[in-house]
Amino acid sequence: MTRAVILSGVFLAALSLGSPAFAQESSIAPVPHFHEEALSAGISHQYAGPWEYFVGGGVAIFDCDGDRRPDLFLAGGIEKATLYRNRSAAGGALRFEETDTGIEQDRLLKITGAYPLDIDNDGIKDLAVLRVGENLLLKGKGDCRFEEANRAFAFNGGSAWSTAFAATFEKDAPYPTLAFGNYVDRSAPGAPWGTCHDNVLLRPKKAEAPDYSEPQLLNPGYCSLSMLFTDWNRSGEPALRISNDRQYYRGGEEQLWAVNPGRPARPYRRGDGWRHVKIFGMGIASADLNGDGFPEYALTSMGDTKLQTLDQESEEQFPIYRDIAYDLGATAHRPYTGDDTRPSTGWHAEFKDVNNDTLLDLFIAKGNVEAMPDFAGFDPDNLLIQQWNGKFVEEGMEAGLALDRKGRGGGIADLNMDGLPDIVVNNRGGPASLFRNLGAGTAERPVPLGNWLAVELFQKGANRDAIGAQINVKLGNQTLTRDVMIGGGHASGQIGFIPFGTGVAERAQIRVRWPDGDWSHPYRVFTNNFVRIERGAPDAEYWYPPEEE
Amino acid sequence: MKFPLAGALLALAIAALPADADDARPWQEQVLDGYHAFDPTAADTPKALATLIERGERLFKGKFVIEEGAGRPEATQAIIPTKRRRPAAESHQRLSGPDANSCQGCHFDPVLGAGAPFSSNAFVSEGFDAADFDTTDPQFSNERNSIALQGAGLVELLAREMTADLHRQRREALRTARRTRDPFRQALSSKGVSFGEITASPDGRIDLTKIEGIDSDLVIRPFSHKGVIVSLRQFAVNALNSHVGIEADERFGARWTGTADFDGDGREDEIGPGDISALVAFKATRPAPTRKTDLPEDWQQAAASGEALFSQIGCASCHIPALPLDSAVFEDPGPLDTAGTLRRAEVERPIRFDLAEFPWAKGLERDDRGRLLVPLFGDLKRHQISDTRNERLGNELIAQRFVDRDVFMTAELWGVGSTAPYGHRGDLTTLDEVILAHAGEATDARKAYTALQDADRQTIIAFLRSLEIAE
Repeated sequence: MTRAVILSGVFLAALSLGSPAFAQESSIAPVPHFHEEALSAGISHQYAGPWEYFVGGGVAIFDCDGDRRPDLFLAGGIEKATLYRNRSAAGGALRFEETDTGIEQDRLLKITGAYPLDIDNDGIKDLAVLRVGENLLLKGKGDCRFEEANRAFAFNGGSAWSTAFAATFEKDAPYPTLAFGNYVDRSAPGAPWGTCHDNVLLRPKKAEAPDYSEPQLLNPGYCSLSMLFTDWNRSGEPALRISNDRQYYRGGEEQLWAVNPGRPARPYRRGDGWRHVKIFGMGIASADLNGDGFPEYALTSMGDTKLQTLDQESEEQFPIYRDIAYDLGATAHRPYTGDDTRPSTGWHAEFKDVNNDTLLDLFIAKGNVEAMPDFAGFDPDNLLIQQWNGKFVEEGMEAGLALDRKGRGGGIADLNMDGLPDIVVNNRGGPASLFRNLGAGTAERPVPLGNWLAVELFQKGANRDAIGAQINVKLGNQTLTRDVMIGGGHASGQIGFIPFGTGVAERAQIRVRWPDGDWSHPYRVFTNNFVRIERGAPDAEYWYPPEEE
Repeated sequence: MKFPLAGALLALAIAALPADADDARPWQEQVLDGYHAFDPTAADTPKALATLIERGERLFKGKFVIEEGAGRPEATQAIIPTKRRRPAAESHQRLSGPDANSCQGCHFDPVLGAGAPFSSNAFVSEGFDAADFDTTDPQFSNERNSIALQGAGLVELLAREMTADLHRQRREALRTARRTRDPFRQALSSKGVSFGEITASPDGRIDLTKIEGIDSDLVIRPFSHKGVIVSLRQFAVNALNSHVGIEADERFGARWTGTADFDGDGREDEIGPGDISALVAFKATRPAPTRKTDLPEDWQQAAASGEALFSQIGCASCHIPALPLDSAVFEDPGPLDTAGTLRRAEVERPIRFDLAEFPWAKGLERDDRGRLLVPLFGDLKRHQISDTRNERLGNELIAQRFVDRDVFMTAELWGVGSTAPYGHRGDLTTLDEVILAHAGEATDARKAYTALQDADRQTIIAFLRSLEIAE
């Protein structure tokens, strides 16, 4: 008997252990094991409420107390949103501690999602909070305390049902430009059908403090559930991509708005090359998957997930996309386990390299809207592991993500700072999930996968966190690219170290294209480190996480 | 290592294979006898250890053939799996490689495992952008004379202990800075060797601008002229690919490349972690160099004087006569390897053997704390060894793995009397030549040597020539 025959026998045995509902290929790339440990980590939270909270359920992942450990702010719907301070020791089990935000309790209700960013350039992260009702800008004061800053920032939070957010720093702007995405206008005649609220673009005035007193309505709005400022054509001027829910709009579609500095935003139309795409748009994830310099976009929906790539035939100024989800095995259109063959419902989407093999993987939070009869009831979260041929293989089951919960927002971040990206999911009507990445090991004995880097950028003045920058990590002949962005996902955002799986590389060179377009010199670093790059500094710095809780 | 999904099952299945033994012929040319999974018990008994070392020796000496994967038609020599732009025209090539048939091909003089003369030099290049270089133009590669592996196990253990010391100092500095909320400056040193200093910030950042002679991750990489290889295991995986075109599964296998035949030669999983361990065991147990004991009296006297002068004029400040080793227990895999080389965390337990138990180690001195004194005449630290006034040892154009062109690891001088020629290119024919080539940080010592009377200089040569690799 040859070794190949024995090997194939082993694989067959391994496959049968997984008992997938339908035959599927196994990942050749390593599959990390995850351990759900929300409760033991100190997180007892759920996102709940009536119809308005069928959508939303976001998570903001950011450092609220200056120790660089990622803290969590979870939207609660009719329940109180909760801020959890990260007490995890490096490489240990996850530990979180609920902490008081300093915000009045009733203002922490009706929250659908949140995105962290430093609005006022004071080095402390603030929060843009989405609500059913008045949205909030919470100014970070340090030590995980906040104060409402709507008045201070001349921000009118409105009264809409907000479900999406994105931010960017436009050229020479002192503060970020904010975009809020709104859902159904419940007060409009005929609601909810065809009564989508306009979205809002807020550009800061040039002033001593952030001043958002002159909003621009982005009309038409088509019930957006995710939005993202993205430099789709590498022009240096990000456009606003908006994913919309066809459930409620009439005559709507996916949208892309040109946001040229100093000019009103305007939607791309068919004459600009924009093609009509109509989906139950729930979440946007963006990454340059094929290394051509231009980002691809995963768009979650009910049924097929879309994966759009810029058409090679299109000219630079034309945003013509084609769907490659089927070709790459990334449709994730129905549950990968169980007997339910009805289409599934995708929400938060995020590209991250969860096994650190240099290939970006795709996580999708899944869950029935509430009791939609034509869609799967048991609809576990997806983990699509990218292979070396560029295709994706579903490994949510093997990874340990196949829980019977209704996922909504979420995020992937290295919560215990061991280089293995962990996953948090805010679930509707059920406990939040906190999946610790154990690599190839167990909860008792995690085993690392590939090498990794985590990169934090800093520049002085406005836009300290370098939103809009691009980070290139060169490993031999391979270059990994990440954009520093605020937005996308489903009502969930994060700011902090940008992770890179570096596979078997022990060394890497990092170059940064700062938001104004200037390129840095190459920074030489050793992998398996947290790296901080300050603009203009000759060398990168390393940061080490606390070893104790 | 295979897919972690079915890792355990797979390892069992592979380990249970008869390793193609049925196909073996007494006259077969192949070196490898099938795929060997990692076996933590491989050195649990003296007999098992002897068998492991014997297998390692056979692999070290064996001339790999095409049927078992020699050559890498679609892969470059790079340490990160890298495809060639076009298939190699020749299976072997003395410049970008594969440039050897066996490990022994470059490690044989004066005994198996030692170095080699100039004729066996290798050309090292990362192989990322210029994989197919076919010129000795130094803009494409650096020429390297091979280094003797005698005592390499002890050297790796010293480097591990020193790295652990430096990492402990970094940890303590961070703790102090976090506790006091003030920056904390910490000198870095281990076994009497200074590596400069770091400053820890209360927020957990480290200022590395004042480190000396070590990489920014404070890991001592003791092997190669540049000090860029962390372990004998990493060295084996790198060299097998680069020099003979045998690709180790633990770096080039499907787990990290998506294919079991990355180099496209039709052979899958060319060498498994069990065989890499055998090579490591063989290399780690090469007897440490010694001193000549049968010298005529005039040489003895000259050597004694020379040894004293060697210290007096400053040579011993880098070529430190001996460094103390707390434990001579060698573990494979070691604690510092990263993905692409089998790691400690990936095995249930490492292979373990005590170098102090080998007869050749019994003669090594111990200090008053019972620590083994490893007489390596080195400091496991990098130094600038060339400058604009004397570029003899900086005569290359490209930096290697982040190490500047004029910076090299202090050469360990044990056995130097047996390892002519000298210098990283092996193009210095005498000890006097290589001493005179010292510049940069070694300028004062070289000047002091130059200022000596000829007879005194000769005593230093006599001393160095007494440091031998026993034949």
